Amino acid sequence: MIDNGFVHPALYFLALAFVLPFLRGEGWKWLLPVPALLAIWSVVHMKSGTYGVVNYLGLELTLGRVDPLSIVFAHVFAIQAGIGFIYALHVRDKAQHAAAALYVAGSFGCTFAGDYVTLFVFWELMSVASTFLVWLNRNPASTRAGFRYFLFHTLGGLALLAGLLLRYKAVGNFAFGPVAESSARLYDYLVLLGFCVNAAVVPLHAWLPDAYPEATVTGAVFMSAFTTKTAVYVLARGFAGYEVLAVMGTVMTLYGVFYATIENNARRILAYHIVSQVGYMVAGVGIGTQMTLNGACAHAYAHILYKGLLFMGAGCVLYAAGTAKLNELGGLASRIPLVMIGYMIGAVSISGFPLFNGFVSKTMTITGAAQAHHGILAILMEVAAVGTFLSVGIKLPYFAFWGGKETYTGTLRPVPWNMYLGMAIGGSLCFLQGIFPGILYRLLPFPVSYVPYTAWHVLQALLLLSFTGLGFYLLHKKLTPEAKINLDFDYFYRLAGRAVVFVARYPIEFVDNWWTEVYRRAGLRGMLGMGWLTSVFDKKGIDGVLDNTAYGVRHAGSIVTKIQTGRLQDYLAGMAVLALIAFVLYLYVF
Amino acid sequence: MPEFAHLTFDAWPVLTALVFFPLAACLAVPLAGSDESARRWTLFASLVEVLLALPLFHFRLGYGGYQFVELVPWVPEWNLHYAMGVDGISLLLVLLTVLLLPLCVLCSWSYIRERVKEFHVCLLLMTSACLGVFVSLDIVLFYVFWEAMLVPMYLLIAVWGGPDKKYASIKFFLYTLAGSTLLLVAIVAMYLKAGTFFIPHLSEAGFPSGFQHWVFLCMAFAFAIKVPMFPFHTWLPAAHVEAPTAGSVLLASILLKMGTYGFLRFCLPMTPEGSLYFAPLMIGLSIASILYGGFIALGQSDMKKLIAYSSVAHMGFVTLGIFIFNLRGFEGAMMQMVNHGITTGALFMLVGCIYERSHSRQIVDNVGLGKYLPAYVFFFGLFSLSSLAYPGTNSFVGELLVLIGAFEHKVLYGFLAVPGALLAAAYMLRLLQKIVWGEPSKGKAWKDLNLREWVYFSPLAVLVIYIGLAPGLALRSMDPTLEQVLAAFKAKAGPRVEVVEVPGVPKEPITEEIPLVNETMGETP
Repeated sequence: MIDNGFVHPALYFLALAFVLPFLRGEGWKWLLPVPALLAIWSVVHMKSGTYGVVNYLGLELTLGRVDPLSIVFAHVFAIQAGIGFIYALHVRDKAQHAAAALYVAGSFGCTFAGDYVTLFVFWELMSVASTFLVWLNRNPASTRAGFRYFLFHTLGGLALLAGLLLRYKAVGNFAFGPVAESSARLYDYLVLLGFCVNAAVVPLHAWLPDAYPEATVTGAVFMSAFTTKTAVYVLARGFAGYEVLAVMGTVMTLYGVFYATIENNARRILAYHIVSQVGYMVAGVGIGTQMTLNGACAHAYAHILYKGLLFMGAGCVLYAAGTAKLNELGGLASRIPLVMIGYMIGAVSISGFPLFNGFVSKTMTITGAAQAHHGILAILMEVAAVGTFLSVGIKLPYFAFWGGKETYTGTLRPVPWNMYLGMAIGGSLCFLQGIFPGILYRLLPFPVSYVPYTAWHVLQALLLLSFTGLGFYLLHKKLTPEAKINLDFDYFYRLAGRAVVFVARYPIEFVDNWWTEVYRRAGLRGMLGMGWLTSVFDKKGIDGVLDNTAYGVRHAGSIVTKIQTGRLQDYLAGMAVLALIAFVLYLYVF
Repeated sequence: MPEFAHLTFDAWPVLTALVFFPLAACLAVPLAGSDESARRWTLFASLVEVLLALPLFHFRLGYGGYQFVELVPWVPEWNLHYAMGVDGISLLLVLLTVLLLPLCVLCSWSYIRERVKEFHVCLLLMTSACLGVFVSLDIVLFYVFWEAMLVPMYLLIAVWGGPDKKYASIKFFLYTLAGSTLLLVAIVAMYLKAGTFFIPHLSEAGFPSGFQHWVFLCMAFAFAIKVPMFPFHTWLPAAHVEAPTAGSVLLASILLKMGTYGFLRFCLPMTPEGSLYFAPLMIGLSIASILYGGFIALGQSDMKKLIAYSSVAHMGFVTLGIFIFNLRGFEGAMMQMVNHGITTGALFMLVGCIYERSHSRQIVDNVGLGKYLPAYVFFFGLFSLSSLAYPGTNSFVGELLVLIGAFEHKVLYGFLAVPGALLAAAYMLRLLQKIVWGEPSKGKAWKDLNLREWVYFSPLAVLVIYIGLAPGLALRSMDPTLEQVLAAFKAKAGPRVEVVEVPGVPKEPITEEIPLVNETMGETP
């Protein structure tokens, strides 16, 4: 992993995760942002090339494939990891930090993987580590959500594994590179399926709004960034230009935003929103032109920053008030103003306000779609942008921080300084990239010909946003959140799950129970009985022979010692008798 | 022997230093002022011993003969030499012995409370004798060291052992000595026939077939007792249970390997036709050991006895690997020797560790430790998995190679050996389950591992994972020698040996020229 000046950023995070359990005392928390800083330094100094090629078990694994596409993702992963660890400085539970570090390490590993085997190993590492970020919330709901999350991701991982193994059988190597749509076979589609699970493509997305609201306050900030964007990266690497992705991406944008608008839990709104935003990226990858791929990368970069900021804001609200349900919140703006400001920066970024990074990135994808003659997709994406502003930009902050039916009257826990610092860093990056889009554009893999700050673009954005605001004002009664559960595709997953349980319970469990009885009565008892029997044979049989031989020899010895009477006359008599016997034998027998 | 006449000690005598330094050190230990300083001095001596072993890392991979050879005439009239050398078979065993000495000292630090100086003297003597056995190239020298390790081991059990130490120590001593007497008969017989005690020459002597059968029986008897093979194994549970921790570790990790080392070094090269003739018997006894050891271990309630019987089973795999006469089998046997040394040594240290807390070896007195001693059960779990040959751990490599070889030789042998692996899983997981999760937990008041315990478990844990995931280096160090032994065996045992090889590790190309005679046994210039 260290080769020719290239240091794999995953190493820093793996080292942190390994070292943390052994550290005692108070000061270890200052170690947390260090791997991210080192990773930023490494990524900034990276040169394109192939590093870290190892030969293991006859396979040639490529651990460090560095090119502009992987650099842009690694860049933002490193920055967000730093922000996330700063945001999590107050957490005393080392397990959460170790899980986050392993998660980030997995993400870096996937980003730089040049072959499917390395990719798979780090993919599964990400799966497991992020499951712990959900489980470490340590309440019944998050335990259940974590299991569902893990199960679903394992299924996705299995699809990926099946695809890559079949591909190896067909192609003969594990190299991970672009697959042309015209020559895609079943195994490529299986790999695509595995990637789409992590990218939360509808209908495989239901794990995201299920698990992310149940994660820890700080864990959700990490999760919002890494799983889905790593999936976007691998889709961009392997499956750029697939029409199905373009269509499904657009579906995702509308679907996510629709659910986001009707949800009650603030973090669930944001989670559905991730589906929507990732939809833009997936659509960009699916359309496959240079501009849309640039757009997808730029959007991923910007999205990690502002979605992280939004989750940080919602996380602060959750931390302070103890609940993220909008129907229970309200009037927090005056009580935690800094959180409100941080959140609003994220909100305006995501909505695509000029001067913030959402504006310079999202519109690139939409314009690219239009330029590639996918007019319908472009229009639908604009519609989704409306919904974005409506749900995340207006509804959530309005009902959390200002009015609404309820006003939160409970006590607010004081928000630690590091959470503010994390938000400040995220917010300032969002703003900086908005006013200097070049910082973002110079990282993109293809040359950028898009100019965001034209009169038309700015006017378009402002028009969209102001009419959305008007719409909210007119409809806000209808949008008032109520505590209810919205059914999503997980309804169908549960049906499938119920069918599996039915098959498992009736035929399979019956056979299994019968076989267990056989195993227990005959097999286990037989085996333990053999164990007892052989013990007895060992002790009584073998040892019996040996020990008794030894005792016998000793006993014989003690008998023979009786010959030693000590009296000379006995010895002389014995000698005389023996001499007589020998003489007789010599004369008459031999 | 003209080709060795000019060998002298102008190079640093690595092997002599390794073998005799502990002897020198044990003259100094009794002069220590207190128990604590005796421990420290012995630890220091053991670390010096490790340093003395570092030149062995210049071992040339790719060369199958003896290296670091030291050869001095001892009694020329009887063709008796002071000859030492290592090759692929003995190198890893020497390194294992040297590694285990400091770990034994560390694990006895608070375990041994009385007669501490004498204890450490015994440890050093044991090391010296064990190393001498592995590096001797003269059969009389080998025999001297072979007998020499009996007395310290007897003392270790008889003085510092458990409740039944008298019985166990005498049983161990007499059993092993009985075998050794027949070994002496074989040595004398071979000398009378070949006129030399020098092992490489004896290996090329070419004895008549009937003679070979008898000599093989004598030698195999001695080695079979040492291994231990069924039905000569009953000294092992007694000795292991009653011995102190360091004694058990040395016994399991090193002494048992001397038996199988003897098979590879003596029986196969010197009596190939005898080995071939009796191979079905030896294979049968090996499989019996595997299955029998596995079943008995299932029925044990004493942790040390369970691990002792598991040693019988594991060593069954080793002897099986040797007597199927193919390269995979040999590799598996050698790997299993080294890996068993690491794993079972670690398991005995774990039992010693918990014995210091609970003062009982019964499983029921040591249950439910997972909650209170997480570091301890981490190591216990790792070494248990290794013991049952879980993939990714070191024992998996050895057992898999043996099973591949067994299946290639005769499918029936493979099928019979596989349940042994199953039984290993059964008894180890049963033990693990009780130790980690049993109720009610006994570990409430006990402390987890302290720094000293971390220090002696960590190298073994690292080796378990390293050899499990990257065994290439170990295999490359032993392959040339094993190939030579196998080729010589096939040539001498006649065309009855049919060998089907499974493709293995890519061979290391010999990039260096044939080494100088001074360092290795090469061709004369």
